[in-house]
Amino acid sequence: MPDTKISTKEAIMLIISIIISHTIVTLPATLLKNSKSGVILNVIFISILALIVAYIIYLLFKKFQGEDIIDISNYLGGPFLKNIIGVIFITYFVSTGGILLRNFAEGLKVIYFPNTNILYIILSFIITICITTSFTFKSNIKVISIILPIVIISIIFLFIGNLPQFNFNQMFPLLGDGFYNTFVTGLGNIVAFGGISCLYIIPPMLKNPEDFKKIALTGIGISAIYLVLCVATLLFMFSFFLYVDEILPLYTAASYIEYGSFFQRLDSLFLLAWMLEICCYLTICSQFSCIVFKKVANLKYEKPIKLIFPFLIFSFALLPKNVAISRFLGDTLYRYVVLFVVFGLGLLILILANIKKKKEEHLNEK
Amino acid sequence: MKSKIFKFFIIIVLIMLIIAFNSSYKSLSLSNISIVVAMAIDTSDSNNMRVTFQFTKPTSTSDTGSNEESPSIINSVDASSISSAINLMNAYIGKKLTLSHCKLIVFSEEFAQKGISDEVFTLMNDNQVRPSTNIVISKCTAKYYIENSKPIFDSLISKYYETYANSSQYTGYTTEATIGDFFNSLNCKSCEPYAILGGINSGTSTSNSSSITNSNSNTISEANTSSVPSEQDSNIKSNESAITGHIKSENIGLAVFKGDKIVGELTAIENLAFLCTKNEIDGFLVSVPDPQDENKSIDVYLTPQKKSKMSTKIVNGSPYVTIEYSFTGRIYSMSSNSDYLDDNMLTEISNTCDAYLESVFSSFFYKTAKIFNSDIVGVGKSALSSFRTSSDFENYNWEENYKNSFFDITVNSNVKSGFLLM
Repeated sequence: MPDTKISTKEAIMLIISIIISHTIVTLPATLLKNSKSGVILNVIFISILALIVAYIIYLLFKKFQGEDIIDISNYLGGPFLKNIIGVIFITYFVSTGGILLRNFAEGLKVIYFPNTNILYIILSFIITICITTSFTFKSNIKVISIILPIVIISIIFLFIGNLPQFNFNQMFPLLGDGFYNTFVTGLGNIVAFGGISCLYIIPPMLKNPEDFKKIALTGIGISAIYLVLCVATLLFMFSFFLYVDEILPLYTAASYIEYGSFFQRLDSLFLLAWMLEICCYLTICSQFSCIVFKKVANLKYEKPIKLIFPFLIFSFALLPKNVAISRFLGDTLYRYVVLFVVFGLGLLILILANIKKKKEEHLNEK
Repeated sequence: MKSKIFKFFIIIVLIMLIIAFNSSYKSLSLSNISIVVAMAIDTSDSNNMRVTFQFTKPTSTSDTGSNEESPSIINSVDASSISSAINLMNAYIGKKLTLSHCKLIVFSEEFAQKGISDEVFTLMNDNQVRPSTNIVISKCTAKYYIENSKPIFDSLISKYYETYANSSQYTGYTTEATIGDFFNSLNCKSCEPYAILGGINSGTSTSNSSSITNSNSNTISEANTSSVPSEQDSNIKSNESAITGHIKSENIGLAVFKGDKIVGELTAIENLAFLCTKNEIDGFLVSVPDPQDENKSIDVYLTPQKKSKMSTKIVNGSPYVTIEYSFTGRIYSMSSNSDYLDDNMLTEISNTCDAYLESVFSSFFYKTAKIFNSDIVGVGKSALSSFRTSSDFENYNWEENYKNSFFDITVNSNVKSGFLLM
């Protein structure tokens, strides 16, 4: 029987991959705009909070080892709740994937394919996902484990390569627009860790379920360092991100890297790595949707439904009429969707299920 | 059967994608594009602006196989905007202009006085324009400037534009000012933009120095420092220098902006102060008064020992800026009776260097503050830590308060010896 379970290392890669894919498009610039010079403190703060949330999720999952959010909602509210939660999570994965794809494709169109219809740029990604999802999730994760280090190295290189351009004074005033803005209204920036959603789905896939805590905390910890590097690069380099919107902010930073007259225009290399990362993210979204749907519909095999989700992502990506709408969906709406699904609904289901479990245990004891 | 349908589907999709992406690749094909190496923007009587494009031709090879200097083509168009000018030029030459190899963007001083914000934003909106493209403000018309920019020591005009600001590293008389930095400063609340000051040398110096002819029939200003006050060599700027030669264009000094409008110019020595403060210089030569003879000067080559340190406090509502510089130096100028093994003598020269540089740096800062009210160095960034919140800084209105700044400048030079002779 083929080994379908994912190892601890692979699970960590999975979490990081989901979180960092959003940094490629607009996330760092959005964080910078929200918190101004206090962005580094804010990211550290939200990272600590995300670690706490991940730890809470681990504690809440303790009594449901080997089960995911769909199984738990079935336990809590029966098939009705299971179906509702399933549909919400599928919509979450498909819509966030679609909007991220649209925003990234808009950037690619401007930079490399000015005369190509956006539909074909998106379609080329969808075809890639159709092919990748036809393989097992385990093999997808193995590929992600190869691509992810390249993406992380690209960001480290982006930071180091731009060091001569940095002005560290730009981190002042440390609190940005004040304590309230950084730590209270800045709380909303926790959406940067929307990848926590992965924790609700992966428990049944783990080879070592006892490592769930390690997976959650390490994945979020590494993503937090990555996020700090991204926002620091933009903060130390540019003043204009506070006032001007750019289609791919990290690409702008990449275009400043030059070593003499020989190593120039390295931005294309960055873009290649990021394209691969977007493919990884979309594959994860598609596979997760497939897993959730299989559970909701009580299907034995998932192969026949595998191609549905790439095309749903495709449809979502085509929904926005223009960049302004896709940006609004990617920045503002995404924020509320993540807050509702990942930090609201998911946690609520887990808490209620734990209360129910405790009550049952109490009754059994009596 | 299923496999055949799948293969057929894959082929159809591939053909579809090839057709869809073809137009993007075709538009970037070498046969369809013309490569712009420089762009000049002037005022125009008939329209908003006159845009001049300098194109390059592929390197021609002579019969003997040696590479010859590749010729460049210069075309101008009067238009209402840069985009419109590019469009008109596309129609005129029958090829699509590509700015991805554009190394230089020149604005005439007259045009820059009206403000260049729209043009800079438009250019930065074009993904072909590299942020490392140099930006020059020409004291003559921008078109005349690029017409006279000829690569004498390079075979390629693009190579010449790419490297011509490199001398800033060891002279400090010009600077590397890129459109990326200009755009960044334009949107910055704690700094102001600047550009390279360019011009065409007329062959007649505004200084009183006489000229001598060298073996290549070029002329350089007389290097007789005994009859020329030491400041005169470095108090030059583009269009006013004492240099003449085959290269007509020159880039000496700095164009200072307030917002998007040019407000003044800095001379070579002030540009040196600017680079020393920004820590963008490897070494430079200064002529300081000879402590033993007031009528003479000594040339000292100074290298920064460590990065300049700047701190700003707000005292009684005014910025109080403290800057410390540290240099080590070696004496260039020698005479038969020089004795630079005497420790007292070296200390005396070091003190003279300190006093001279303090006066130069101080005058540079007060000029930017009191005359131009333009914080091109980015003193405001060092003041950021004095404010509790970003809103406090914005409310303070640094851009207007910079003129109230006071500067406390300390220079520590350590002149060690001569080079080969002591």
